[in-house]
Amino acid sequence: MVDIKFNFGDKVKLRLAHEEVEGIALESYDNDVILIKLKSGYNIGIPKENILDFHVIEEFKANKRTEKITFGKSKDKQSIGMVITGGTIAAKLDSRTGGVSWLTDTQEFVKFYPKVFEKVNVKKISVPFMVASENMTSEHWITIAEHVKEMLNDPEIKGVIVTHGTDTLHYTSSALSFFLRDLKKPVVLTFSQRSIDRASSDAELNLECAVEMSLSNCAEVVLVGHATQNDDFCYAYRGTKVRKMHSSRRDAFKAINCEPIAKVFPNKIEFLSKYNARSDGLTKVDSSFSDKVALVYYYPGQDPSILDYYLVQGYRGIVIVATGFGHVATGDDEHSWIPHIKRLIKQGVAICFAPQTFYGRLNPKVYSPGRELEKLGVIYLEDLLPETALVKLGWVLGHKNWRSLVREKMIDNVCGEFNELLTE
Amino acid sequence: MQKYNELGFKAGLEIHQQLDTPKLFSGAPSFLRNDEPHYLIERKLHAVAGESGTVDSAVAYEAHLGKQFFYEGYRDTTSLVELDEEPAHSINEEALNTALTVALLLNCEIYPVTQVMRKTVIDGSNTSGFQRTVLIAHDGKIQTSFGDVRVATVCLEEDSARVISRDKNKVVYRLDRLGIPLVEIATYPDLHNPEQVKECALKIGEILRACKVKRGLGTIRQDVNVSIKGHDRVEIKGFQDPKMMIKTIDIEIDRQIDNIKKKKTTGDVRNAKEDGTSEFLRPMPGADRMYPETDLSLLRIGRQRIDHLKKHLPKLKTDIRDELRKKGVSEDLIELVLDESEVLDEFHTFLDIYPIDANLIAKMVTLWRNEFATKKKKTFYQIKEILSESVLAEVLRELADENIVSSDVKPILIKVLDGSSVKDALKVEKIDDNEIEKEIRSIIKEKPGMRANAYMGMLMAKHKGKLDAKKAMELINKVLS
Repeated sequence: MVDIKFNFGDKVKLRLAHEEVEGIALESYDNDVILIKLKSGYNIGIPKENILDFHVIEEFKANKRTEKITFGKSKDKQSIGMVITGGTIAAKLDSRTGGVSWLTDTQEFVKFYPKVFEKVNVKKISVPFMVASENMTSEHWITIAEHVKEMLNDPEIKGVIVTHGTDTLHYTSSALSFFLRDLKKPVVLTFSQRSIDRASSDAELNLECAVEMSLSNCAEVVLVGHATQNDDFCYAYRGTKVRKMHSSRRDAFKAINCEPIAKVFPNKIEFLSKYNARSDGLTKVDSSFSDKVALVYYYPGQDPSILDYYLVQGYRGIVIVATGFGHVATGDDEHSWIPHIKRLIKQGVAICFAPQTFYGRLNPKVYSPGRELEKLGVIYLEDLLPETALVKLGWVLGHKNWRSLVREKMIDNVCGEFNELLTE
Repeated sequence: MQKYNELGFKAGLEIHQQLDTPKLFSGAPSFLRNDEPHYLIERKLHAVAGESGTVDSAVAYEAHLGKQFFYEGYRDTTSLVELDEEPAHSINEEALNTALTVALLLNCEIYPVTQVMRKTVIDGSNTSGFQRTVLIAHDGKIQTSFGDVRVATVCLEEDSARVISRDKNKVVYRLDRLGIPLVEIATYPDLHNPEQVKECALKIGEILRACKVKRGLGTIRQDVNVSIKGHDRVEIKGFQDPKMMIKTIDIEIDRQIDNIKKKKTTGDVRNAKEDGTSEFLRPMPGADRMYPETDLSLLRIGRQRIDHLKKHLPKLKTDIRDELRKKGVSEDLIELVLDESEVLDEFHTFLDIYPIDANLIAKMVTLWRNEFATKKKKTFYQIKEILSESVLAEVLRELADENIVSSDVKPILIKVLDGSSVKDALKVEKIDDNEIEKEIRSIIKEKPGMRANAYMGMLMAKHKGKLDAKKAMELINKVLS
């Protein structure tokens, strides 16, 4: 086989059996193929085995247009802070490699989202890490909280925007809701479902509305994103009562068991429900967190001994995503969860139930199995979303001084995670 | 033609043809609807820097318009892909095979591995802000009476959404057309006069119609790139009818000559109007409009697929016509058979069953059904429902097995039309050869010394044409000898 050596972006010439091909060599994820951008702009693949001769005719030269883009700061504009953490909203296509990569610096962010920087002074931008949201851990949540707090405590900054991947955004929004104590200003998480290299990207409206929300009177952790499939307005959702309910649509996030906090347009806000108002003072971070918590999704016929595994592994709390009003198998046979739950609780493991239905509230009183489970010490988490429940449990168990107060803390409405008045 | 040479006339064709398959990257049904749409979606598009970081002139031009786009959709036929709410599904196999078939008929080289690209389009006609397109073949050849025309590329791409209404700041599109597969054929500027442009367009049209393509107004769009010496290339879009090409091109040549005099020789994209003139549509698009569809892996077309398609290439009408002539089908019948692709398909199916008499089969699928319709005061389709493909096939199989003779076919079909089951209708009174021979001998005995043809006439008259003439003649000859 011919020796094929090149750098992505090089102009190359290949000789095949019947023709010659000239173009720019791009990164290919398929090892047996060289990907070539033809002069027409089309990419084609050449199987390496078909190449009779190969040479680079022009080496790739990096475009050194490092023109510094200034944020256009002015005294007339209000200031905000911005924390960039990865996700589709901060990813772009790399023309040289043909792959998708992170926006490498804040300069690029300015280039892709000029409207944000025209509307407000982005006084501080931090990029603590660039991570796809499915790769995040509680460590990442804590780091984001620290960065957000730093910005919030700058008196000039009116609010902070956090950009984030969508997959686990509702975990992060829950975590920030619990971690940021004495919150006095808006913390707005936003995202995009369509990549920013396409003209139809939802990032533009989401960011514009996020800016609007960050300047608002609402001192809460909220998630802002498309309200519908239309590009007209967003909803601001309470960070603990929101969930990704669609894998691809713009309006992937939905408020569960409550109304959105507000309808957010690029230039105005219509509040739909109560919220904590902006005030003066410093915000603290309380991010003690235990990772020894697990989510167990119950299904019919499931072997309850899975709980014993968590006990052996040293887990200190489990959120069981239970059926209906909050049920798991309680019959007389080997499928019964009663003896296992009993054993774990006795060993000091917190067992919480959250609703598999997402919508509606658990109620252990309606059927006898529920009453039995409640008697065993299961903590029924009302209308709390399972993911929020997991984050809250990790946060509660992370506090040594709350050891004897786990139940009280779990059912305490810390930041609007429970809705006592379900209307739908 | 001398005139065109002197002017340095050069032209190339770009033809877009809708394929009659599901949508290219969603598999949704691909037909246009005129019933009330079920919902309306509002979107905006934003200017995006191209791959190299520069905003291309055509794209920038449209970005200035800053319009509001509305999209009409249907709950039962519009998928999330058309709504730009879901990543592209893998390419529709049927559409890919059809496009490859077109490329093969154009004598093109197929790319074994290729990549679906996103071509930036921000006039709102694509909800995503780009059109998905994939280059599948290159360097083909079309023969014309003025010489060969090289085919530069064959691409497979998504059709755009169609405009329902348009005003200053607002465009309403319907999503029914968005995503319908289009095969795009581009020739090199090898066309040297308007006559050749038309001939080449017709030739490509014939090739397309041999494949699984949509028919009717709007299913094919033909663009011509024209230039004379001293003028940049001008793209004239939107020819529905190749007949208009010569006039339109001649008018464009005059316009270019005039432009050269005025020293305004920049190329643009123009729209062909019905009277042969054209109007400015937009500036010429620059390069830099393409980047990969990152949601799909490389498209591997593969040698096996190409070989399979090569073995099953459809025949062109000109070839079929020659073939039918060779088989002895009369010219009138050839035209009738070629008139409808469905009829042609049936014809081929039947010819496989009974290859001996192409004329008989041609009559069965064309003339007879019409004749029966008139006689029985039914519509052609009612007749076709009774004398369906399976009925005709069954009768022909009996004919091929020599259980009946060709003169039996029509009476059998009439019996079926009159309500008889096919099985019963096929029970033709068979007259034993010995019986006929006996009859012949008695006829000859009665009127001796006549010619064979005369006896034949008498015999057929007696049996009211129900005898197989060929067989009868054989028997007469046998007795006479």
